[in-house]
Amino acid sequence: MFDSLNISASALTAQRLRMDVVSSNIANAESTRGKFVNGKWEPYRRKMVMMEPREKNFNQILQGEIQKQSESKSQLQGVRVSGIVSDKTPFKTIYDPTNPDANADGYVMMPNVDISKEMIDLLAASRAYEANVTAFNTGKSMMLKALEVGR
Amino acid sequence: MSNISLLQKAMDASSLRQQVISNNIANAETPGYKTKQVVFEDILKKHLTNQTNFAGNRTDARHLVIGNSNNIPTGTVVDNTNSVIQNNGNNVDIDEEMTRMGKNSIWYYTLTEQMNSEFQQLSIAIKGRS
Repeated sequence: MFDSLNISASALTAQRLRMDVVSSNIANAESTRGKFVNGKWEPYRRKMVMMEPREKNFNQILQGEIQKQSESKSQLQGVRVSGIVSDKTPFKTIYDPTNPDANADGYVMMPNVDISKEMIDLLAASRAYEANVTAFNTGKSMMLKALEVGR
Repeated sequence: MSNISLLQKAMDASSLRQQVISNNIANAETPGYKTKQVVFEDILKKHLTNQTNFAGNRTDARHLVIGNSNNIPTGTVVDNTNSVIQNNGNNVDIDEEMTRMGKNSIWYYTLTEQMNSEFQQLSIAIKGRS
């Protein structure tokens, strides 16, 4: 019954996580010590959120088969985050011999975070969030309207 | 078929449509996702135009239906697979979904008003105006 609200809620969660990841990327745009690999510091790698349509879990499929409901066959479960992956693009290098993380030639590896890219991603996530809030509100007001039947 | 059951089916279709639109908006940026749509009006129209005065009398539930059948069709979900909007294979048009959602909610409100007036009429028939 509350499927449409659950669907919107799943998207709100996903978009909020996306915003969190963007914030993390921006916060670490200058972090030269992200990970300690083989006795050397590696800069922070940009993270990305992967999303996929949410499929039913075993219990829901079983319940649907038992009750033989026609609507349970539809794959309307919203969205889920399938994982947070690292961006494989190479790190930026800048010349700064005074930096403690500089190599023998005086170059420092900087994170592969592009601030403008992050800002665009942040804006897209926030717009998508708004769209889902609208969908949520519409579904909610439809349900409230249905409660008025017979008044 | 009574008006109330017809309206009920229409409201079911409308709420299913709301679910489908929510799902489309939720997956607006999911790679490879294809838009879904609810088909109801066309099926209903087909059903209504096929109504005739000629109908077989059924004395058993297992008899074949001849002519009019009493079960009103329900909405079905179809995938719209033959278009691509984004590079990742996704074809959700967010503006279209938002318009469709506005239209659908007004339709739902209309149906609830209609449903209300049906019950109002019943109530008048039972109690009279007082």
